[in-house]
Amino acid sequence: MNCRGFWEQEPGGLDHLNVDHLNECPACAASYGRHGELAWRLRVLGAEMRHVAAPARVEKKLLAAFRSQSGFAPTPRRMGWAAPAVWAAAVAATVLAGFVLFHSQQPQPGHRINGRKTIELAAVNPADSADPAAAFAEGYEDFIPLPNAERIAPNEQVNMVRVEVLRSAMIPLGYAVSEEHASDTVEADVVLGADGQARAVRFLGEATNF
Amino acid sequence: MNGPDTDEELLIRIHSGDEQAFVSLYRKRQAAIFRFALHMSGSEAVAEDITQEVFLAVIRDGCGFDPARGTLSGYLYGIARKLMLRHLERGRLDVTLESDLEATALPELAVDDDPLVELTHREGLEALRRAVLALPRRYREVVVLCDLEEVDYAEAAVVLGRPIGTVRSRLHRARALLLEKLTKERHTRPAVETLKPVRCMV
Repeated sequence: MNCRGFWEQEPGGLDHLNVDHLNECPACAASYGRHGELAWRLRVLGAEMRHVAAPARVEKKLLAAFRSQSGFAPTPRRMGWAAPAVWAAAVAATVLAGFVLFHSQQPQPGHRINGRKTIELAAVNPADSADPAAAFAEGYEDFIPLPNAERIAPNEQVNMVRVEVLRSAMIPLGYAVSEEHASDTVEADVVLGADGQARAVRFLGEATNF
Repeated sequence: MNGPDTDEELLIRIHSGDEQAFVSLYRKRQAAIFRFALHMSGSEAVAEDITQEVFLAVIRDGCGFDPARGTLSGYLYGIARKLMLRHLERGRLDVTLESDLEATALPELAVDDDPLVELTHREGLEALRRAVLALPRRYREVVVLCDLEEVDYAEAAVVLGRPIGTVRSRLHRARALLLEKLTKERHTRPAVETLKPVRCMV
C-alpha cells in the first residue's frame, strides 16, 4: 500500500486505518502522529472553553418570551417567607409615614405611659381580628388608636400585620423614648382597615421596657 | 427519589406551559449551543443571538423535534447550525477557502517541522482557536462539533445531515487544513519575532 492508498482507505477514519503502512513509512507515521496530537489539543481547547456560557440576560429574555406566549401562564412560584416579608416592609413604610404625618399631634402622655402594662406579649393571630368592630373594644384594649385615624367600621374587614418600626415612632403615641434608644427597632402589630390604612397599633414584647 | 427529567420529558412539560421545565432545559443545554455558535462565528454577540433564537424555537409549540430522528441536543445543534448558515450567508463572513477543497485536498504527508511544537501553552491554544475560526465553514463545523464539543460522529452526522463517513472525511481534512494553517503561521511569525529591541544611542 502506498501513502495515498493509506490515507484514502477509509476517508478520515483515523481510528479505522490499517496501521501496517505506518511501520513502513516514517512520513505517514509522523503525519499520523501529528493528526492525533492535533485532535488531542483541540479537545484541550474545547475543555478550556467548557465554562463559557450564554450571558444571564439571554435567560431573562427567553423567560419573558415564554411567559408572553399565548396560553402559557407562568407557573406559580411558592413565595415562602418572601411574601409576608415584602408585605410587612410595605406596611412598615406605611405606618412610619403615618407616624411622621401625625408627629405634630399632641399625644395623651398620661394615658399612654400608663398603658405600658397593657402591652401584650403573646403572638397575634390574625384570625383574632375577625370582629373588626372590636378593634378598640373589649379584648383589644391593648391596641392604641393612631391619631386622626378613622375608627373601624362595624362590618369592615381588617387585617393585622406584624412589622418592625423605629422606637422613635412610639413618641407621638405618648411613650417616653430616650434618645439613646430612639433608633432601636421594635415589633408592633398594626391593624389595617379595608382601605389599607393603619388604624391602630400595639407594641410587642419588651418594646416598652427602655 | 426520581432522577432528573430527560430532555424529552422537559420538552413535553414546556409545551404544556411549565416554566420551570423550560428553565431546566435551557440551563442544561444553553452553554453548548452558545459555544458552538461562538466557535463558528467568533462573535459573542452572534452567539448570544443564535442561542436566543434556538430556544425561542423550543418555546414555540410544535417546534418540530422528532425523537425518532435523534436527540434533542442534536436537534438544538441543528437549529443553531441553520441559523449560523443564514447568518454567514447574510453577512458574507464565510470568505475563507471554501472552494473545492473537499474534492481536492489531500492530507499533508510529510512536513519537516512540527507546528504543534508551538501549541504547548496558552498562546498556542489561542493560535489553534484562530485557526479553527479561519477554516471553511464545512470543516469548521465538524471540528467544533466533534473535537471541541466532543459530539459523537453519529450525532454530528444527524446535525449536519450527512452520512457518518462524510463526517469522518471532513474531520480528517479539517485537521489537515489546521496543521497547514498552523505551519504557515509558524513560518510567518518569526519574521516579526526576531526583531529584537536595540539600545537607543542618544
